Amino acid sequence: MAGVRLEHLAKAYDKGPLVIRDVNIDIKDKEFVVLVGPSGCGKSTLLRMIAGLESITGGHLYIGDRRVNEVPASERDIAMVFQNYALYPHMTVFENMAFGLKLRGLPKEEIRQRVEKAARMLEIETLLDRRPKDMSGGQRQRVAIGRAIVRNPQVFLFDEPLSNLDAKLRGQTRIELQKLHRELNATMIYVTHDQVEAMTLGDRIVVLRNGDVMQQDTPLNLYNHPANQFVAGFIGSPPMNFLPGRICADGPLRFESRGGMLGIDLSEYPQAATLRAYQGKPVVLGIRAEHIRRRPGPNERRFFRRLVPVEAVENMGSETMVYFPLETQRFIARLSADYPIPADQPLDLFWDLGKLHFFDAETEVAIR
Amino acid sequence: MRKDKWIPYGLVAPYILHFAVFVAFPVVFSVVLTFHRWNIISPMEFIGLDNYVRLFKDRLFWQAIYNTLRFLVVHIPLQIVVALALAELLNRTVRGASFFRAAFFLPVIVSGVVVTILWQQLLGYNLGLLNRLLTAVSLPRVAWLDDPDIAMYSIAVMATWKNVGLYVILFLVGLQTVPAQYYEAADLEGATDWQKFRYITLPMINPTIFTVVVLSTIGGFSLFIEPYIMTEGGPLNSTLSAVMYIYQQAFQYYHMGYSATLGFFFALLILGVVMLQRRYIEQEN
Repeated sequence: MAGVRLEHLAKAYDKGPLVIRDVNIDIKDKEFVVLVGPSGCGKSTLLRMIAGLESITGGHLYIGDRRVNEVPASERDIAMVFQNYALYPHMTVFENMAFGLKLRGLPKEEIRQRVEKAARMLEIETLLDRRPKDMSGGQRQRVAIGRAIVRNPQVFLFDEPLSNLDAKLRGQTRIELQKLHRELNATMIYVTHDQVEAMTLGDRIVVLRNGDVMQQDTPLNLYNHPANQFVAGFIGSPPMNFLPGRICADGPLRFESRGGMLGIDLSEYPQAATLRAYQGKPVVLGIRAEHIRRRPGPNERRFFRRLVPVEAVENMGSETMVYFPLETQRFIARLSADYPIPADQPLDLFWDLGKLHFFDAETEVAIR
Repeated sequence: MRKDKWIPYGLVAPYILHFAVFVAFPVVFSVVLTFHRWNIISPMEFIGLDNYVRLFKDRLFWQAIYNTLRFLVVHIPLQIVVALALAELLNRTVRGASFFRAAFFLPVIVSGVVVTILWQQLLGYNLGLLNRLLTAVSLPRVAWLDDPDIAMYSIAVMATWKNVGLYVILFLVGLQTVPAQYYEAADLEGATDWQKFRYITLPMINPTIFTVVVLSTIGGFSLFIEPYIMTEGGPLNSTLSAVMYIYQQAFQYYHMGYSATLGFFFALLILGVVMLQRRYIEQEN
C-alpha cells in the first residue's frame, strides 16, 4: 500500500486551455479520498491521470515515493473500477477476475485461491462461471471490484462506480464499500458527482470545479465550514439557501438583503467582529435548510424570526420540506414532520443566527 | 372497399414477378435440367440420374474442386490476416488514414478484368515486373503463372490484393465497436499490445471474422475471372476452378444438363462448408 501525492498537477489537451490547474492533494496511505464536483469539473480526468490513462501536462505525481509521471499504467500497480465496469463480455466472472493475474504469469493454483478469496469477500462465489451478460448491474459491479481486489494493488481507483445502480442498491453498495475499505485497509481514490456518496464514503473530500480544487477537508468540516459559496452550495442536500445583500454597521451590525425586504440584526452573530470589516460591501448570506426552524431554542435572541408565505410543502415522512420565496430566491426549510404544515397559510420561521454563513459576493470566499 | 383489397397485391406484384422470373424459375429449371440431356438446340431428353453418376466419375471436375480448395486454403487465411493487420494499422490514428482507407478499397471497385490484366503484367515470366526485380538482385526467375505448383497460389495472392479493401473496411468497423475501456482496463492489468489483441480484440471481433470467413469462402468458391483471363485454367488444368469448369461445360460444350448438375452439387458443397464454419465458430464462442 502507498500514498499518492499530486503536486501542481496540470492537464491540457493538444495545446488547448488547462482543464486541470495546479492541483495539490496529498493522499495518505490507507486513506479514502473522494473527488467530487459537477460534471466537467475534471475529476475523472484527474483520476485517469493518476491511473496513467491520461498524460500529465505539468506538475508531479507520486505513488509512494516514486515519481510516476512517465510510468505506464501497467507499471503503476493500480487497480481501477470503471463506471461501466469494463468486464470482458467473452470471459466468465472467474476469467475476468483472473485476467490480470494470468498476464502476470502467476501459477494457476495461486490464481484460483486469490480469485476465490475475493469472490468470498464479495459474496459472488456462485457467479464464477457466469458471463457478465447473465448478471444484474449490482453483480457486475461486485465482479468489477473483485477484479481490482485480486491484484492486491497499491492504490484502488473508483470512477463513479455506483452511477449505474438504482437508488436502493447504491445505498447498500455504499455501506459495502466502507466495509471493504476497512477490511482491505487500502488507499482508495473515488470519483463521484454525488455529494451523498462523497459525504458517506470519504475520510476526506476534495471538491473540484472547472479543474481547480475548491476545498479539501473531512466531510463534516466541508459541511460545517465551507471555504466558499460553491462548496456551500454543492455539499449538502438540499443545497444551502443563499441571499445576496450587504453589511450595515452604522448602528448595530445588520445584514440587509439586496431587495431591502429583509434586515437581520447580527449583534448576536458569533463572528460579528469579522463581519464589521465588510461594512457597506456586498455579501451573500447562506443558511442550511435544517437551520431554519419552527420553534426557537431556549435563547430566543439568537434567532431571527420571519413570517413567510408557503409556496410548496413536500412531506418526506421523516421530515417536511417547506419551500418559500424570498426576494428573487427560493428558500427551503427542513422541518420536523411531527406537525402538519398547511400549504396555503403563512408560516412563522426561526433562523438560527449561530448557523449563518457569509460569503464575499465578489470572490465567493467565506467570511470567517 | 373491394378495390382497396387488391392494392397490397398490386404493390408486391413487381417483386413477385421479378422473383419468379429471375430466381424461382431458373432454380427450378436448373434442378429439372439435372435430370436431362440438353444442348439448347435439340429437345431435352430425360436421362434420370445419369448426370449425377457422371459427376462422381468426372476426374476433371474433382480436379477443379481440388484446385478451388487449394485456392481457398491460401486465399482465406491470407485475406483475414492482411485485412486485419491493415485495419489495425488504420484504426490507430495514423497520418493520412483516410487516404490509405480509400487506396486499399480502390481495387475492390476496379473491374476484375482490369486488375487481372494488370497482374498478368506483374507476374509475366520474361517481362513481368516481379521477375525483373528478382533478376536485378541476381535471383532466378519464378514461373508465377506457368508452374502448375505455383500458379494457383499466385492467383490467390492476386485475388487477395483485389478484395482485401472490402474486408479492411469490415474489420475496421468491427474494431471500432470494441469499447476503449476494455483496452484501458487491460492496460491497468499490465497487458502487452499482443495480449490485448489476443485476449480482447480477437474474441470481440469474432462475429466480424465469421462474416469475413463466410464472405470470402463464398467469393472464393466462385473464382472465375482471374484464371479465365490469366491462365485459361492451365498449366495442366492446375488453375481450372470449379466455376470455370461449370462454365466450360455449359457454354463451350453445351452440356446444359450436366453443367446444371455440377452447379447444383457445387451450391450444396458451399452450403455444407459454410454450415461447418458456422458450427465451428459457434462452438468457439
